[in-house]
Amino acid sequence: MARKVNVIGVGMVNFQKPGASEPYNVMASKAIRAALKDAGIGFEELEQAYAGYIYGDSTCGQRAVYEVGQTGIPVFNVNNNCATGSSAIMLARQAVEAGAAECALAVGFEQMQKGALGSMWNDRTNPMDFHVGVMNALQGFNEAPPAAQMFGGAGREYRWKYGTKRETFAKVSEKARKHAAKDPYALFREELSVEQILASPEIFDPLTRYQCCPPTCGSAAAILCSDEFAKKHGIDNPVWIAAQAMRTDYPTSFDGKSMIKMCGYDLAKNAADAVYQKSGLGPKDVDVIELHDCFTSNELLSYEALGLCPEGGAEKLVWDGDNTYGGKWVTNPSGGLLSKGHPIGATGVAQCTELVWQLRGQAEARQVEGAKVALQHNLGLGGACVVTMYRRG
Amino acid sequence: MAKELRFDGRVAIVTGAGGGLGKAHALLLASRGAKVVVNDLGGSFTGEGKSASAADRVVEEIRSAGGEAVANYDSVEDGAKIVETAMKTFGRLDIVVNNAGILRDVSFQKMTDDDWEKIYRVHVLGTFRVTHAAWPILREQGYGRVIVTASAAGIYGNFGQANYAAAKLGLFGFASTLALEGRKKNILVNTIAPIAGSRMTETVLPPEMIAALKPEYVSPLVARLVHEESEETGSLFEVGGGFFAKLRWERAKGKLFRVGRQIRIEDVDQAWDQITSFENAEHPDSVAASMQPILANVEKGPSQGGNDLIDVDESLGFEFPPIESSYDERDLAVYALGVGAARDPLDTRDLQLVYEMHSGGMKALPTYGVVPAISAILDLAKKGIQPPGMHYGLDRILHGEQYTEVLRPLPTNAKLTHKARVKHIWDKGKGAVVVTEVKSYDEHGEELIRNDVTMFIRGAGGWGGERGPSSDINNPPARAPDAVVQERIPENAALLYRLSGDWNPLHADPEFAMAVGFQRPILHGLCSFGYAGRHVISKFAPEGNPDFFKSIQARFAETVYPGETLVTEMWKESDTRIVFRCKIAERDKVAISNAAIELFKEVPKPKSQATAQPTAAKSEAAAPAEPLSADIFGAIDAFLKANAEVVGKVKTVYQFKLSAPASVWTVDAKNAGGGATPGETQKPQCTLSMSDGDFLAMCTGKADAMKLFTSGKMKISGDVLASQKLEFLRKIPPDLVIERMKARGAAPAGKAEAQPQAETAADASPTSWDVFVAIRDHVGRHPELAQKIQTVFVFKLADPPSAWTVDLKNGKGSVEEGETKKADCTLAITEANFLDMTSGKADSMKLFTSGKLKISGNVMASQKLNFLQKIDKEEAKAAVMRARAAGAAGKSAAASQPAGAAEANAPKVFAALAQRLAENPKLKDEVQAVVQFRVKEPEGAWVADFSSPTPAVQEGTSDKATATLTLNDGDLGELVRGEASAQDLFQHGKLRADGDVTVAHRLGFLKGLA
Repeated sequence: MARKVNVIGVGMVNFQKPGASEPYNVMASKAIRAALKDAGIGFEELEQAYAGYIYGDSTCGQRAVYEVGQTGIPVFNVNNNCATGSSAIMLARQAVEAGAAECALAVGFEQMQKGALGSMWNDRTNPMDFHVGVMNALQGFNEAPPAAQMFGGAGREYRWKYGTKRETFAKVSEKARKHAAKDPYALFREELSVEQILASPEIFDPLTRYQCCPPTCGSAAAILCSDEFAKKHGIDNPVWIAAQAMRTDYPTSFDGKSMIKMCGYDLAKNAADAVYQKSGLGPKDVDVIELHDCFTSNELLSYEALGLCPEGGAEKLVWDGDNTYGGKWVTNPSGGLLSKGHPIGATGVAQCTELVWQLRGQAEARQVEGAKVALQHNLGLGGACVVTMYRRG
Repeated sequence: MAKELRFDGRVAIVTGAGGGLGKAHALLLASRGAKVVVNDLGGSFTGEGKSASAADRVVEEIRSAGGEAVANYDSVEDGAKIVETAMKTFGRLDIVVNNAGILRDVSFQKMTDDDWEKIYRVHVLGTFRVTHAAWPILREQGYGRVIVTASAAGIYGNFGQANYAAAKLGLFGFASTLALEGRKKNILVNTIAPIAGSRMTETVLPPEMIAALKPEYVSPLVARLVHEESEETGSLFEVGGGFFAKLRWERAKGKLFRVGRQIRIEDVDQAWDQITSFENAEHPDSVAASMQPILANVEKGPSQGGNDLIDVDESLGFEFPPIESSYDERDLAVYALGVGAARDPLDTRDLQLVYEMHSGGMKALPTYGVVPAISAILDLAKKGIQPPGMHYGLDRILHGEQYTEVLRPLPTNAKLTHKARVKHIWDKGKGAVVVTEVKSYDEHGEELIRNDVTMFIRGAGGWGGERGPSSDINNPPARAPDAVVQERIPENAALLYRLSGDWNPLHADPEFAMAVGFQRPILHGLCSFGYAGRHVISKFAPEGNPDFFKSIQARFAETVYPGETLVTEMWKESDTRIVFRCKIAERDKVAISNAAIELFKEVPKPKSQATAQPTAAKSEAAAPAEPLSADIFGAIDAFLKANAEVVGKVKTVYQFKLSAPASVWTVDAKNAGGGATPGETQKPQCTLSMSDGDFLAMCTGKADAMKLFTSGKMKISGDVLASQKLEFLRKIPPDLVIERMKARGAAPAGKAEAQPQAETAADASPTSWDVFVAIRDHVGRHPELAQKIQTVFVFKLADPPSAWTVDLKNGKGSVEEGETKKADCTLAITEANFLDMTSGKADSMKLFTSGKLKISGNVMASQKLNFLQKIDKEEAKAAVMRARAAGAAGKSAAASQPAGAAEANAPKVFAALAQRLAENPKLKDEVQAVVQFRVKEPEGAWVADFSSPTPAVQEGTSDKATATLTLNDGDLGELVRGEASAQDLFQHGKLRADGDVTVAHRLGFLKGLA
């Protein structure tokens, strides 16, 4: 029987626009210190560290951790596109679960540049060439940012299939801004109306600018430990990981039939199914969710991949208000990638941070009343999807 | 097989479970593991008496089958006691099935208070009491399932059941509200309208029917709804006799009257069809959805009023579909003669208006600017295109005022596109004023003429709307006129003027004129308008030159008859503004009042031709030989053979498939000794298909590869990303191309013309010229650099050769083309390497050590060049754009003209659609929507109405469209010919859908049209 793994400390820094942040090592060290303080332990208690980032030379993880302490522990640099942060958490969880460590750190950080994502390595096989090939066959390729073309294309396919209103996409962003208004860590805290969102410049039909997550700088950290470690340090009733699963692409991503599948739908669905099966809990048991809303279209698709509604049911879910306070779930109380920001390597850890606060009842103005079960969904094209269920009590 | 739905551990209350439906519900739930409170008062079905035996029998049946149950004999009016039984016996409660009921059927006229009261108490009060007692328990545990039992009698009415029907539909409202209040706590509430043979229904249904309506046919729905995995809530179901169906509200599309205006009974009566028609009906499922039309109406703001003749809300702002017309020298001459020009054929100024071979060039009489606009309005009217909400006839219209402005002198012939809209509607009390604005654009899309046509609509005012600004303007000053022209209008003037397009018989037919109350045919108001324009121009435009005319404003105050004498009195208000009026000498009446003409200070020139003309002349003279694609491939071949390192980098085999004329080429930039050869290859990694012309444009920098790709002119298959590596094509030295051209005997007229120079196209990749422009811009912004760096650099570039001096020593520094002898440090490098170095793709140190960058003079000073890395990219781009715009405008004009535009598909397609629709009215039922098409390139708009009782296809736009589909004319053609699917176009972003996207699924009606 695998050991239970707890999340005893979390911390993060305020997310910033590119150019306005501190260097990655400073942001990361602040997040790590905040997580250590939250857990009430010292750096010397950490036995392993997993550091997630995608932009930067090798061993930025060490450089970030060294700011806080140099105890000679193993430090692993983790790079898994937009699922980097949760991949770091997963490795830390596996280390504790397997007994390789009693207490491990997962930290994510990103110091991004302005503008849409691009490739740094044009002299070798592009890791996304399968994906781009599918996209080119289905809808061509143009000057819009590639990620917007991919998720926007998935949005087109979805609209075509179900006749989804433009307003439905915009409402996701409206909700994200409403939530972010109450999150002091978020980048965009100003509320926007559906009209404003739809009137912003079109990036790739149906996505307008306010429906795309911004490049962001930031960091977050989480400390994971065994039951024994928690008991030894007098930590009572911690948040624990009820189930976690990662999936990578299946042939369905590349069979050239669907932008939705190319954008990781089956990864998310299979990861979620595995988590529900392992935890014995279903979507109905979940109170609060942080999911990967890099674009509004992906939030809608994620509802379905996570089983919150049947396929084609996302529009109803949105208009029923089942994604916000008063509805069946609250998705992205933090404002999500759309409004809190998407510092790629940090995002997965920041999602975890928000959910831990929610389960402890520490989320202040954005607290989801009586949250007992939380779900995290973190997706990177290329691809990896990590779904995690957290519980308390 | 589906998994068994079970209720283990759940506790249910079923009221009225002693028999009939309730008993069936209880038995079914218990058989699947639920613990059941079997409630039954044991009374008769009319609510009299009480006995424990009914409930006991059911409990016994459950227990004997191995289930758990307890009996309860309380009235549902004592709901709390029933709930108490559940909690005491089983310790929890999950499911409440409100089933108990009685009947008191009696016709309404015989109904007593007691009949009403009893029914209310058992059905309504009872359901309330039981559910209300259970509610806090369900809320607390965050789980509950509630069933409320309604009836078809309540939904549809049933003879003799006024009391029962009222109670039953009331319960549906009750359940719908609880569904909302309970949702957050996972309490789901649904209503069933069952029909089953039971004690209650025995009185109203024949026995054989009751046999078919077994209660057991209802209970599975109840169980399905109260199962823990059900997500259904707030719903209503009809169930019984094997039939299961959900029911919802349907609402007609309805009629919206804008708020803020009086709504009369007659208005409602007139809209009755709309109010009651269920075509395009909606299905509101919440109060919010119910309110939606009202909120939308409020959002539109208060009504601007109107009446039977003019509905301002519908008309104001209406944009007519664009309409085209053209005119030439003949039209101008006919017009000028019609307004009295050139009576003296020796007057050279006037002759210029009517004689196309005049030595000074022909000129347009500028008041002609009103003619195409009026013709456009008449054409639109003839096509039946008029603003919605305008319901008056021509008999009410008077052309009241006219404003015409030319933005520059009218060319002597032009093809115009007119865009008209309803600009103002004013309520003048008895009448109304409608101002229609017409803007006319030339072939280049440049605006040429503006007209405001002011129509007075007799008897159409009086809705209490805005009066509009005072029109008491352009009043002559008190002094005597500064100039007066008197001119007799010939008797046949109207017959001449009508040749310019106003064919109203009133101006020609004596009988017609008499019939409408005039002594004889009258002169066109716009004819006297033209006379007046001529008079003002002759007196006040510099040298009487009509090109100085800018605009005219006039009010038509009195009818003029041909043969009368027009006296134009003019007052010069400023150099560019003349106020005037026209009197009729014979009758001393003012025919044109409140009038003014404005003049240009300087004659404006057309934008699009100012730069284009001289260039065109130049290129005709030079007419350089153009390279062929074979020349380019020859150059590629030589280049690849000479530059093995390019092959090492690109590592791709390309196939080029060119069309018009067709040729196939293989470019092997992968294998050592590769090159370009005609013909196909077995294994291309990346295949590019495009026209020969586009290929040449791409290679000579006139077209951007990415744009060719995104616009569909270049198709790429295979490894798409490999196409990015085609950048190497830009590095091919132009000399190689020229050599090939010479070899085939086509000597290029000028080397510069044939070079693949990127700066000829504004959107091409940067060249060293761009980089130096950016450096110059940067140096200009940072005068401190010169002090810091103290060096004069000279760059000597090769392939193609150029030289630049970057002086960061003297004064504030400068960057100039050319060399200087005072260089401190000279850098020699090829153009390609220079670009790589300055864009950061190549390291200057490596170029230096590998011998590709040669530095002479002060070698160490070259290290100070790192300021180049600090140049802001955005600023650099802006500087280049500015410089290109200023210096290369002429060059870009030489780019190839688009081939003669093919005829548009859309007009034919929609004409054919109209016919298809007329021949096959069933098409309407397949589509069931108002589909608006917005076609681009060339622009057009059509509305295909498959929704109204009289389906139709019309040119124009509609605000009632179910969906608006936007696409290019070419793509429409592909759709019609079946060469592309709507889904494919949509996914490619070539078909844009607003509104209901699913309408685009049903575009089959377009296939095969035209």
